[in-house]
Amino acid sequence: MAAKKTANTISHGGRLPKKTLERMLYCLKVTREAESRIERVLYRQGKIVGGVYTGRGQEAIGVGSAIQLVDGDVVLPSHRDFSSFFIRGFTLREIFLNWMARAEGPARGRDNTLHLGDIKRGVIPIISSLGATCPVACGAAMTLKWRGKGHVALVHFGEGTTSRGDVHEAMNWASVMTLPVIFICNNNSYAYSTPTEKQFVVGKIAARAAGYAMPGVTVDGNNVLAVHGAVRKAIERARSGMGPSFIECKTFRMTGHSAHDAANYVPKLLLEKWAQRDPILQLEKLLLQQKLITRGRIQKMEKEIHQQVDEAVAYAEASPMPEGADALKGVYCEPECWWQDRRP
Amino acid sequence: MPVLTYLDAIRQGIWEEMERDPSVFLLGEDIGVYGGAFKVTAGMLEKFGEDRVVDTPISESAIVGAAVGAALMGMRPIAEMQFMDFISCGFDQIVNMAAKIHYRWGAKVPLVIRGPSGAGTHGGPYHSQSNEMWFVHTPGLKVVAPATAYDAKGLIKAAIRDDNPVIFFEHKFLYRRIKEEIPTGDYVVPIGKAIVRREGTDISVITYGAMVWTALEAAQDLEKDGISLEVVDLRSLLPYDEETVLTSVRKCNKVILLHEDTRTGGMAGELAALIAERAFEDLDGPVVRVTAPDTPVPFSPPLEEYFLPNAKKLMDAVRTLAEF
Amino acid sequence: MSTNVIMPQMGESVAEGTVVKWLKKVGERVERDEPLFEISTDKVDAEIPSPASGVLTKILVKENETVEVNTVVAEIDGEAARVATPEEKKQAAPPATVPPALPLPSGVKAVTRVAAPPQRVQGEGEKIRSSPLVRRIARENNVDLTLVHGTGLGGRVSKKDILSYVAQSPIGGTVPAAPRPIPSAARQSAGPRMAFSSPTEVLAMTPMRRQIAEHMMASQQTSAHVATVYEVELTKVVEMRAQHGAEFEKRNGLKLTYTTFLIRAAVEALKEFPIFNSSVEGTNIVYKRDVNIGVAVTLDTGLIVPVIKRAGEKNFLEIARAVQALAERARGKKLSVEDVQGGTFTITNPGAFGSLFGIPIINQPQVAILGVGGIEKRVVVRHDAIAIRPMVYLSLSFDHRIIDGALANQFMGRVKTYLENWDEPVI
Repeated sequence: MAAKKTANTISHGGRLPKKTLERMLYCLKVTREAESRIERVLYRQGKIVGGVYTGRGQEAIGVGSAIQLVDGDVVLPSHRDFSSFFIRGFTLREIFLNWMARAEGPARGRDNTLHLGDIKRGVIPIISSLGATCPVACGAAMTLKWRGKGHVALVHFGEGTTSRGDVHEAMNWASVMTLPVIFICNNNSYAYSTPTEKQFVVGKIAARAAGYAMPGVTVDGNNVLAVHGAVRKAIERARSGMGPSFIECKTFRMTGHSAHDAANYVPKLLLEKWAQRDPILQLEKLLLQQKLITRGRIQKMEKEIHQQVDEAVAYAEASPMPEGADALKGVYCEPECWWQDRRP
Repeated sequence: MPVLTYLDAIRQGIWEEMERDPSVFLLGEDIGVYGGAFKVTAGMLEKFGEDRVVDTPISESAIVGAAVGAALMGMRPIAEMQFMDFISCGFDQIVNMAAKIHYRWGAKVPLVIRGPSGAGTHGGPYHSQSNEMWFVHTPGLKVVAPATAYDAKGLIKAAIRDDNPVIFFEHKFLYRRIKEEIPTGDYVVPIGKAIVRREGTDISVITYGAMVWTALEAAQDLEKDGISLEVVDLRSLLPYDEETVLTSVRKCNKVILLHEDTRTGGMAGELAALIAERAFEDLDGPVVRVTAPDTPVPFSPPLEEYFLPNAKKLMDAVRTLAEF
Repeated sequence: MSTNVIMPQMGESVAEGTVVKWLKKVGERVERDEPLFEISTDKVDAEIPSPASGVLTKILVKENETVEVNTVVAEIDGEAARVATPEEKKQAAPPATVPPALPLPSGVKAVTRVAAPPQRVQGEGEKIRSSPLVRRIARENNVDLTLVHGTGLGGRVSKKDILSYVAQSPIGGTVPAAPRPIPSAARQSAGPRMAFSSPTEVLAMTPMRRQIAEHMMASQQTSAHVATVYEVELTKVVEMRAQHGAEFEKRNGLKLTYTTFLIRAAVEALKEFPIFNSSVEGTNIVYKRDVNIGVAVTLDTGLIVPVIKRAGEKNFLEIARAVQALAERARGKKLSVEDVQGGTFTITNPGAFGSLFGIPIINQPQVAILGVGGIEKRVVVRHDAIAIRPMVYLSLSFDHRIIDGALANQFMGRVKTYLENWDEPVI
């Protein structure tokens, strides 16, 4: 997390520093490795509890956006935005603990997958009726606006979610109240098995923004720099009090809806085509071409990531499951708060 | 002590909390310039300004969702539903978002959703419902329903200070019909505590909201016949005060559960189960429910009157049970 | 260390999977995360990586066989950490929505968690209409509901009916549901009479007499009665009465009676030895929180035992007041049902009629009863000299099922010490 920056000293435009680019590559690769491990290894070994939803192929959206947030900003990621959680400070250990339903995980076994929240780290998680975080982002943004420090709220959702009324209510609300909210739609072409043309008939979902009198753009969601640029502009606008923006990131879901979905409804050709545009390969190629990184450095990075993931998995696997009777605790936030008691 | 209506007591409670705590703010439809459909928030915009009295679009889901977002960021929002009937539009945000956040990941969600409920004003199916049980069945929420002006003020203050989402059911029939002397100073009525409104020995009537007054009216009439009713006002429905209910049942040994809400799945059913589980051997007669029938709330006065429980219907039930 | 390989759950609703192909043979080495077998489920086909490194020692599910998820399909022997199978996971089953434990009567704590079996209601006719409350009161007071006149709807026995019935039947205390039939004293008397040469007169027992008879027989049948007798010097107590009796009466309008001293001494001993304040339910010992002392009062028609509730929390004066109030109500026949219920220990006073000491029968479901003999000056030996002291014999009948002699004697030792060294102010 870019802790040293503050809302008012963010660099505008221009080429990103080499360090930032390398960090982007690192975050992309960590996300890919961790999610692959979850979906293709641990899940199949019966070590992951519950369903598995990953963001394979669309990692650039979380990375390109979350990487430019500062302390005090809030992000409400979707269930496919592993990188947002990681960048905002959730450790690999915490994330694997949660996937394995362990007592020590951030949700202590109460909620699964990436339903991880922490106000201190500025992360508010989804609920499974997607789109509900959009109004919540507005409420957070109202508070940020009143506090007047230029902080913003980023809310992520898929193109299928835009069919929900909550997204409309929130976009309208944010616009009416000129709130610092950035609506980021990861248009990955399928909502479970339903293709975009059965969700909406407007060609680009970004066209909706006009109806709320907010800027709406469509960018290549597999190009982390394109995402970064569009989000940067939206954030600048929000920080300066000009209100919300809508960004559609075109991408493709390179897995089933979940690990138990073979996704036979997705044409093979489409998958092959999008595989060519893999966000990690794209950034790697660019950095190598421009001699901003060496192959050796990349290999070293991959080795490190592998070890980090190994360590986190081993830690989570050795960690105990919760006690059944703990299910009764912490229903209410009372003065003797169960969560507070056990918070390290 | 000044005499306040039920409505003014709520208004005063909110006003005092907004003066006391700058994190308290209001959001809802027509609450600012207009002062709310029932004028609960009248004068607040002028006093506290636009940032703390927020007129919103007609978006109940966003009203609740935004309240959750602000609460997570450390605010104490009070969201008004213009009529509690419309709370259904914000249902997902209440039951799936607000109610479960603390349990799921430990954050505090201090917010109040308040508004007018209940019938008796010929409001028809969409301005008359007693829909509290939708929320009583949702762990993580607190649900309160004051019957007196004193409690209305004390409970709205307790609700605002509570670190959990509280659904605050005001009864619109009581807004301007009841008045009482209210202490000027600060006080709260704790959530989760019932109160015995009237001591009695023969039959315990357990109720809440506007029906408390119905029960007291019946109790007065029945006294002449030598039947002594005890009236318990639940005040809070979730969590509710099991001990006060059981103590009253153990004392009177016969019990009537009274509410304006419809019958099936109402609070009376829950209380009947509690009594059967924990006071079975204290019962000297069947547990009796006096409630509205299982229909929507009808509009035309004869229909509505037929629908609503009243003192006569309660007295009929009391007499039958007394003879049992 | 061997590792179980399981059929993974590939989707929340998936219940079973088919092993399509084993990619390793038994005896072959496999690395952790290396593909081990292929499966097919309703939702997806997948290649399953090995959960551990080692040698594949057993294949338990053959190709094309379908098994439930979480079934062990193979074993790997190796150095890798064991995979916890679902059975081994220490995750407790979610609690079913069960009602809270049924409440015990107030002030009672069960010693074990075994729920006491519901007591059978004795003597209740199946066809008597009543209510759960009425049946409870009947059980607690050993009332045959067929004898109670019902005034409720359709002749139902109501709370009012049973309360007035019980209030008219003077014996207090309770009779436990006995596990075997209790020979009824009343019925025995109605049986074939023995041949008897001289004339006799037959009189039916009064309801009170009948109840006492049943109650006493039931107690004899229930408890293993044993008694112990102590001689206690009352010099200190007598001095107290002499010094403060007049003042006590002036201040409180009450006589300073020996009974109050004895109750106080018993309460102290009961606090120290709570088993004397218990009852037996099946194979459980039920300890009672409250110490409720019954004091037997003789009436011209029989015997009644009003109860001083929560005597453990009362001071000397409060006990004296309670004794006085109950005695007055008993003699005026104004005792309520409440007044005679819930006793946990009883004191009886055969000495009042000149007895040296008596061996009382335990008042069920209690487990001990203290008998107080006559108080009189007796010659005793003190410091190897003959002395004259106010003395009393205290007897304790106790239930040997749960109380052994040594404990009973410790209890009585405590009572004796308390009385002989009386230092509790009475004013």
